[in-house]
Amino acid sequence: MQTITPPDDKAANDGPTKDWQHLDGVDPKGKFPARGRYGEESIVIFQTKHGYRGTSRACPHMFATMLKAELAQNETMVRCPLHVFTFRLSDGKGVNCAGFHLDIYEVEERDGALYARALP
Amino acid sequence: MEKTIILKNAHVIDPLREINGIADVAIRGAKIAPLNSVDEKSAEIIDLRGHYLTPGWVDIHVHAYGTLGFADPDSVGVYQGVTSFVEAGGPGIGTLDEFFALMDGLETSLYVGPFIRPMGLLGLNFIEGNIRTLGEVPITKWIDFAQEHRDSLRYLKCNAMGDYGPGTLNVTKGLAQILKLPLYMHIGEFQNQKPEILLAYEAFKIAESGDMITHIYHGNLGRVVDQKGKLLPIVKEAGQRGVLFDLGFGGYNFSWDVAEQAYAEGLVPYTISSDLQQFNVVRPAKSLANVLSVMMHLGMSLTQLISCVTAHPAKALSLGDRAGTLREGLPADITVFKIEDGSFELTDCYSNVRTAKQQIVPVMTFKNGKRFDVDMVKGQDEANWFLQISEDQIPAAAYALSNDQRAFLGALADELTTRDWTLYSAEYLDVEKALELQQAFHAVLAKSGLPLRAGLRAVYSSFIDQKFTMQIGLFLMRLDRAFAVARLKEVAKMSEQMLGAKHEGSYANHYSA
Repeated sequence: MQTITPPDDKAANDGPTKDWQHLDGVDPKGKFPARGRYGEESIVIFQTKHGYRGTSRACPHMFATMLKAELAQNETMVRCPLHVFTFRLSDGKGVNCAGFHLDIYEVEERDGALYARALP
Repeated sequence: MEKTIILKNAHVIDPLREINGIADVAIRGAKIAPLNSVDEKSAEIIDLRGHYLTPGWVDIHVHAYGTLGFADPDSVGVYQGVTSFVEAGGPGIGTLDEFFALMDGLETSLYVGPFIRPMGLLGLNFIEGNIRTLGEVPITKWIDFAQEHRDSLRYLKCNAMGDYGPGTLNVTKGLAQILKLPLYMHIGEFQNQKPEILLAYEAFKIAESGDMITHIYHGNLGRVVDQKGKLLPIVKEAGQRGVLFDLGFGGYNFSWDVAEQAYAEGLVPYTISSDLQQFNVVRPAKSLANVLSVMMHLGMSLTQLISCVTAHPAKALSLGDRAGTLREGLPADITVFKIEDGSFELTDCYSNVRTAKQQIVPVMTFKNGKRFDVDMVKGQDEANWFLQISEDQIPAAAYALSNDQRAFLGALADELTTRDWTLYSAEYLDVEKALELQQAFHAVLAKSGLPLRAGLRAVYSSFIDQKFTMQIGLFLMRLDRAFAVARLKEVAKMSEQMLGAKHEGSYANHYSA
């Protein structure tokens, strides 16, 4: 794993834990959703028509794997397969499941590799 | 002259009257008619060769209203072969007025089994099992309500789970005795909760003959079988006392492993219910028909299955005067279905799959003699179960609100600016605050003179596109306070010009008071 320079100015003031990290072993041309690691965290990376996005590995409801989750609402949301709990990919807010929140990761492709950083 | 229909050549199964074979059934107007009283020449003839015909199915556990309910409850009723269903715990004594204000006009007969908590069911959040959320039990209000709505009221629900403690089951049992209603108890913990005392087993102790226990095949803590798959004596004893076991498939309440173990041990449900809700209609419950297919794969005979959705629920709910059989003179509530051969995956609530060779597929429903062609897609339509707050724009429904409704929203916004609340989380919900917001809504409504339904619809229409319903206090708590107040003010101030631009089409009809 390597830490790289943030790709834009808005990330420049973030602390070290918010740094972009290379997603080892995740091929941008591979199959999605894909499993990845962000520091000690297992995450799941989705490819949407709006770009890549990452989420925590498990749904906060009953901990089903998000690897089987579906994209919803014009690919702006992700939906757990177990009870259709649906979360915004922009900020992780539970849409039809008030009070639940999914951790979200920004994911970008550069030079044929994927990089992620946790949303604050 | 009343319309007459003859349903010909179907395989009729009416367990209560011990009918099981090819027969014809006649309908006159809204009732089942003697076959020889209907003239074939003037009647509509429907040839149902190759189909099964049974009394209309009764689903004693659905969520039509509230935090788990559907935009269109009929989608899981007459459009799926179900002619009567019971709202299982959505409202409590503090929200039954809202329930009755909103839940009229359905084609499917809707009954209610209120929850012991004044607010009703809270949803899927883990706070559901916190004893403090149970709040007050106003006995006199319950008695008055039961007298006024005797016909709608079919059982009293509580959850034998979480940190309620056994005392709450006794309180609910006591109230059920006062109201002369059966007790209906949920068993099984949320997967990530591990209370010291498992109330499931208290439920089996407390239940008396005629009381019902639902989710008998759940796979969480508080199962009906031990670790070796043997049926617990306490469960067997309850069955021998006449306690009625309900399937309640649900969203996390049916396990193939437990079902196979318990069924092999002789634990068979008396009633088969779906527990259909926003969170399981896509999968795994899907429909009562799918749940019947599950139970058929488990080993139940077709006659047994049909008993569990006709004669048995009618008896358990004291609906024998109107449902559960095809007796002449009763309402013409009829379900027509077929059995398809093939390879069908049937999934439990834990993603375990069994492959069945047959499945039950409803085709046609008659409700009070009115025909509905089954539409299994309606229930699964995202707009029917995906409750999304419209944050970016005012829902189209708001454009059909009346001047009085918008004036009410303005007054409500003013009132809410004097209140403070925080969004509820998965682990915490301030139920007392939700009650306060509910009271604030009612106080403003009383001053406006609007009917309850018009006031509720005005608020919902300001935030959601579909016709979902929810306890108003919980609904407001679900909204960010600043956003809620701003949106209410925005809708209240919508100009006549804005209204004119969209005040047409079906919304006006759907959302009028």
